[in-house]
Amino acid sequence: MSSLQPNVDSTNSEAMQRSNPKKRRKIGHSNSLSLVPWRSETQQRIYSSKLAEALRHVIHRNPPSPPAKSSAGREVRETADRVLASTAKGRTRWSRAILASPLNRWKLRRMHKKVHKASTGLPKKSPETRRRLPVVQKKARVLGRLVPGCRKLTFPNLLEEATDYISALEMQVRAMTALTELLTGGGSLASA
Amino acid sequence: MSSRRSRQTSGSSNISDDQIKDLVSKLQQLLPEIRHTRTDKVSSAKVLQETCNYIRSLHREVDDLSERLSELLATTDTAQAALIRNLLLQ
Repeated sequence: MSSLQPNVDSTNSEAMQRSNPKKRRKIGHSNSLSLVPWRSETQQRIYSSKLAEALRHVIHRNPPSPPAKSSAGREVRETADRVLASTAKGRTRWSRAILASPLNRWKLRRMHKKVHKASTGLPKKSPETRRRLPVVQKKARVLGRLVPGCRKLTFPNLLEEATDYISALEMQVRAMTALTELLTGGGSLASA
Repeated sequence: MSSRRSRQTSGSSNISDDQIKDLVSKLQQLLPEIRHTRTDKVSSAKVLQETCNYIRSLHREVDDLSERLSELLATTDTAQAALIRNLLLQ
């Protein structure tokens, strides 16, 4: 169903993880990038193990006494996002943006959360033939704010990033759900 | 759809509308809501709107999940052992 390529290029995974600026995407708006297949089981397993590893580090940093603050959830979230971005192997802009500056993202997200423009009421002429109409442009701008690191992208690039980002988020949700279930199931096992 | 051929608009954008339409349809396939309706009838603005909503809801889910995970990790110290064990068993 998904038209993303099922090729996982694992050769230059190490280089990509450093968010290497030299390896840009090809100029020329190639529609079919060799993106990560977010739907495959393998990817999810890779992500889950990486996430478990990272979370274990987080546990070690906060010593056994539980932080018990609202920041714990945020830490987990940031860790999950970073692991997600590293799984993306640096091929997409949003993954590079996440890896580059996790702090900025949070502040900006908090600030922009209130700006919800429900822009309706403008009559749409034939949507795609003219220039990107103001309606579509506004929505595109909102979308650009949601996807990290995509504020200044052109419209088609933004759409590409958005498709990849959505698949990645879905996988993140699946993996974290599975992990949570494991923990709730495993916790009772360990205490018995 | 011959009336919506790639009309190059106003010189500054070298991007064809067909390309955009292709991307929008690809995006539409991912969205759980619009997937069931026929592709002809959905405008790109609606697709974008649904995309934003969907991304926001995914963000919320991840937030909730990470809250739960953080609680789980904090309460059970043996969580690590459980994690390792379960991952090995997978």
